[in-house]
Amino acid sequence: MTGAERIVAGLEAAGVTLAASVPDTWIGRLMAAVRASGKIRALDVAREEEAVAVACGANLAGGRGAVLIQNAGLLNCGGILAGLVELYALPCFFIVSLRGDYRDPVYYHAPKGRVTEATLQAWRLPYAIANRAGDLGAQVRRGVDFTAESRGPFVLLISGEDLA
Amino acid sequence: MTGRKPFLDALVGLLTPADVLVSCLGANARWLPHMTVAAPVFALCDSMSAAIPLALGIALTRPDRHVVALEGDGSLLMSPNVLATVAAAGPPNLTMVLWVNGHYESSGGQALPAAPMDWPALARAAGLRHVETVTEPAGLAAALVAARGAPGPALLVLPIAFDPAESIPPYSERPGEIRARFHL
Repeated sequence: MTGAERIVAGLEAAGVTLAASVPDTWIGRLMAAVRASGKIRALDVAREEEAVAVACGANLAGGRGAVLIQNAGLLNCGGILAGLVELYALPCFFIVSLRGDYRDPVYYHAPKGRVTEATLQAWRLPYAIANRAGDLGAQVRRGVDFTAESRGPFVLLISGEDLA
Repeated sequence: MTGRKPFLDALVGLLTPADVLVSCLGANARWLPHMTVAAPVFALCDSMSAAIPLALGIALTRPDRHVVALEGDGSLLMSPNVLATVAAAGPPNLTMVLWVNGHYESSGGQALPAAPMDWPALARAAGLRHVETVTEPAGLAAALVAARGAPGPALLVLPIAFDPAESIPPYSERPGEIRARFHL
């Protein structure tokens, strides 16, 4: 299995029913694997804040939503994280491409890479960096379960090499 | 032009326990706890522009329920992109109701930073097929029946009078209460 397939298997095992996404080149590859899933509805949205609200709506309706976006999009989401996810104590699981760290070959992502973890910490968002040497599916499942138990957000940061 | 409350009274009176109501922040969300609503209600008190995508997530997850999303024009102006998202997703069990008064009512009545918007034209351009403007509360019953029967998502546009003297009650429910009471 590719890393993308292992991540999707983790989403399926965690009971995720709907994945809302704005793609970048990495998330686009992951969403291609989501679209091959018979268990998860892939939903393309126009902005990342929409993805957060859609996932929260799915959770409120008895499903399990997930948000698949780039870190640039996560940086857009401060308002809705505070005013919806945190305020209403709603589970919300994110898979976020960590563009701009040392593994990213594209130079123009670097400024986002520098601020991503600092922003997650400032926003008090629980997060982890995916470890492709370990069980990616289990890391996904743990993250989704954490959102349900904590009634809040969790962010799993991935790199392009995790999808191979 | 009619004010908000007669429209809200008429709309709420048309909802059934099989429906789901999602409200944007502001006057509608503040009025709803003081009304008898047959449908489960999830009302926002913050997060402008979240009502429609939240309702979309509910509608896609529960195709057996008809979801009605209330949104304000100031809020939708912040993220009109959601109209295209909804059109592409295409859930027939979602009706969006847009309250158009040209003002940020809940923040003091400031005018929107825009010329009057042609919301029906924008919605159609975004791909929504069922768009109807309703100018009187009495027209809501037929409009909602048509929206429920549409093969895709619907948008009802309600031009309402801006009334700075409207005595809107304060938020009387906390988010934890709203969430705890919301069961489908």
